[in-house]
Amino acid sequence: MPESRSIPPRVWILAALALAVAVVVIIGPALFDRFTLNVLTRSMIYAMLAVTVDILWGYTGILTFGQAAFFGAGAYASAMVLSHLGATPAMLALALALAILVPMLLGAFVGWLSFGHGSTPLYATVISLVVPIVVTQLVFSGGVWTGSSSGLVGYSGLPLGLQGYFRLTGICLIITTVIALVFTRSDDGKLLVAIRDNEARCAYLGLDPQRLKIALTTILAGVAGIAGFLYANASGVVAPESTGFVFGTEIVIWTALGGRGTIIGPVMGAIGIDYLSAQLSGDLPFLWNLVVGALFVVMIILLPNGLAQLAGMVLPRRHGEQASQAGSPGLAAEAAGNGAENGNRVLAVSGLGKSFGSLQVLQGIDLDVRPGELVSLVGPNGAGKTTLMRCLSDGTEATTGRVSIAGQDISGMTPDEIVALGVGRKFQVASVFDSLTVADCLRLARASRKAPSLLRRSATLGLPAAAADILRSTGLDGMLGRPVSLLSHGQKQSLELAMVVALEPKLILLDEPTAGLTKVERTTIGATLQKLTGELGFAAILVEHDLDFVRDISTRIVVLHQGKLVLDGSVDQVVNSEMVRTIYSGGAHA
Amino acid sequence: MTLLLDMVTTAAILFIVAAGLLAIFGVLKIINFAHGAWLTIGAYCAVATAGLGLNPWAALPIAFAVGAILGGITELVIVRPLYRRPLDAILATWGLGIVIGQLITLWFGRDVQFTPNLLSGTVDVFGVGYSLYRLCAVAAALVIGLAFTFLLEGTRLGLSAQAVIMNETLARALGIDTARVRLATFMVGTGLAALAGVLLTPLTSVDPNMGVAWLIGSFMLVMVAGSSFSTLAIACLVFGGTQVLVSTFVSPIFGGITVAVLCALVLRISPKGFARA
Repeated sequence: MPESRSIPPRVWILAALALAVAVVVIIGPALFDRFTLNVLTRSMIYAMLAVTVDILWGYTGILTFGQAAFFGAGAYASAMVLSHLGATPAMLALALALAILVPMLLGAFVGWLSFGHGSTPLYATVISLVVPIVVTQLVFSGGVWTGSSSGLVGYSGLPLGLQGYFRLTGICLIITTVIALVFTRSDDGKLLVAIRDNEARCAYLGLDPQRLKIALTTILAGVAGIAGFLYANASGVVAPESTGFVFGTEIVIWTALGGRGTIIGPVMGAIGIDYLSAQLSGDLPFLWNLVVGALFVVMIILLPNGLAQLAGMVLPRRHGEQASQAGSPGLAAEAAGNGAENGNRVLAVSGLGKSFGSLQVLQGIDLDVRPGELVSLVGPNGAGKTTLMRCLSDGTEATTGRVSIAGQDISGMTPDEIVALGVGRKFQVASVFDSLTVADCLRLARASRKAPSLLRRSATLGLPAAAADILRSTGLDGMLGRPVSLLSHGQKQSLELAMVVALEPKLILLDEPTAGLTKVERTTIGATLQKLTGELGFAAILVEHDLDFVRDISTRIVVLHQGKLVLDGSVDQVVNSEMVRTIYSGGAHA
Repeated sequence: MTLLLDMVTTAAILFIVAAGLLAIFGVLKIINFAHGAWLTIGAYCAVATAGLGLNPWAALPIAFAVGAILGGITELVIVRPLYRRPLDAILATWGLGIVIGQLITLWFGRDVQFTPNLLSGTVDVFGVGYSLYRLCAVAAALVIGLAFTFLLEGTRLGLSAQAVIMNETLARALGIDTARVRLATFMVGTGLAALAGVLLTPLTSVDPNMGVAWLIGSFMLVMVAGSSFSTLAIACLVFGGTQVLVSTFVSPIFGGITVAVLCALVLRISPKGFARA
């Protein structure tokens, strides 16, 4: 995404753009005939919906057809109040309130249904298909209340007239678009992309992606409800079609053709396509839909990011500039608040077991870890090392036994809750956010401690001293503005370690942090780990195959074999034991 | 008694309609949202067959062939680039569905078409007169189910398909031409959808948008069933049966959404649906 980094010019451009559009909206009625005004009013309402779909789908990666249901619910709530109770100012206010509240309640419910712990993106899409169908059927079965299949007509709404509605809708669209632009480009908006890129990492940064998605669904349902209110007033008619799943797919089509993840693109897409449909459908109704459908297919296959992507290819990109130092945020070290409570156990595991069906992967694991310890977990492939790490960082994993972090039992807790207790987990394959910059990733790692701004983009990046040290020793401090996708494998590993340390955990879990790294990079990471545990009082558990590496840096070694903990002792005890030689003989060293 | 027969025959019809979608989803993990369009294609094959004055039964093989050929083209051109983007595949096939719907409209017009009945009349079942055709649907469902079981268990293609379901990378490493397995599966699935379209003609009106109404129900059933035909059969019996009960005793309007709502709830409770081992 090419975008300038410093705030003032962006704001000016945005303000100027909004102003220019506002002028068009204000003088528009003088330029257009009745038909065009009518159509454009409707198109602009649809454009508001396209913005909500873009935030959900383009930014957060949730493909939804459900916005149609929220739109329809808002429209019907308004129309029902206005038809059955009249259009007095009080009732209009009630209609607006209900048009926002009803969809939001529905949205909260749908969000809760769609985003449980461990639900798949496909399931959310499935639910978003079912919701419009259910709402449509409710409308059909509503009898006189909803007008059933013929809809509701002949009620009066806001006393505005054609031109008034055009202006009101235009202003609402500008406000929606500006808010969406500011939000998606703020520090908080990066969260959406982070969720799309790597939901697991979000959870292991102590964020609750499911709750965020439910909140997002709820709020955007409210926005769709407002659009529904405008529609019910401006068109003077609501029909079951505007709640349906086919309409939901149309919104997605506009968004896709305009360019997902750009906000402006979907607005243009919705207005352009809806306006052209109205103009052309009189002459060649089927052909027009045919063309739109065919374009949509081609677009999804060849240009998944829409026309905006094409524009991006033609116009010079600003990646080079972004990668340079010019605009990258300053690094500010914060005082570390990692009070090492020596002596207390950070981690206590007793009788831990895990089985998949009848296959017992772990059994009877007992393990204590104290602050300042660097415990290495070794064992041949399939010994259950990674499974053990999972059981320590996700309370829903273990089958039997008890794991407590800082004295608190974690059974049933989700990863983000365990992170809040002070556990940071580094994955075997570097788990970072590919679409973001280095600075954004680190800022997200701090998000669970310091809520990011909804509106602004910070110019500085505040990190604990330990995390800043890692950046300096690996040279990442010079590439804060660089997109993560351009980093090398080793740099990604270091970045992830810095992100985990930035959480200021009491206990760090590291799953083969040196896999695939060069000798120099290994040494750097080893030194960093020793410093974190020896000097700063972190505790760490390290899964590692390389016994030489382990011998150099560990304070204690634990051997896992066939799901059982067979040895737990000092470095010398373990390295010289007969058992380890037996287990590792025959080259289980992969 | 009629109620029971209604439940069984409804389940059978759902099974016939969903089978093609399941074949594709089970092996390719791709949801063919143009499924509705293929049902429509099949139904219009019946219309065209009747227009040519052929025996109505000839529509069945014709529809299967037409559906499979069009499906093959679709797999090559549209679906193949999208295996790694399953959500985009939903959208692209939906777009294709729009295109097909419009083409049919341009060709045949948007009016409702009528086709000659494949079978008419009623038969007595335990003293109750019942539509012969609906009973035949049960037989057709059984034939399709058994044919698929044979195809999967007894042929080389089926074996390859199972390998692709379990571990595609390994299958490819073992020298199975996974691209061809995919093409064949997609063609079988779309051919079956078109066949189902013909079988639907005596039960519903034929118009360019007839497929959409069936799409969601079969889509939900397939989500619950996962990749197995026997679980699909169970899902059809349970949800189809419930649909008939709700339609009869509560309201036909709610009957129409029973399948979708129940499937959504089942998936919320158990994300793998009925497919859990």
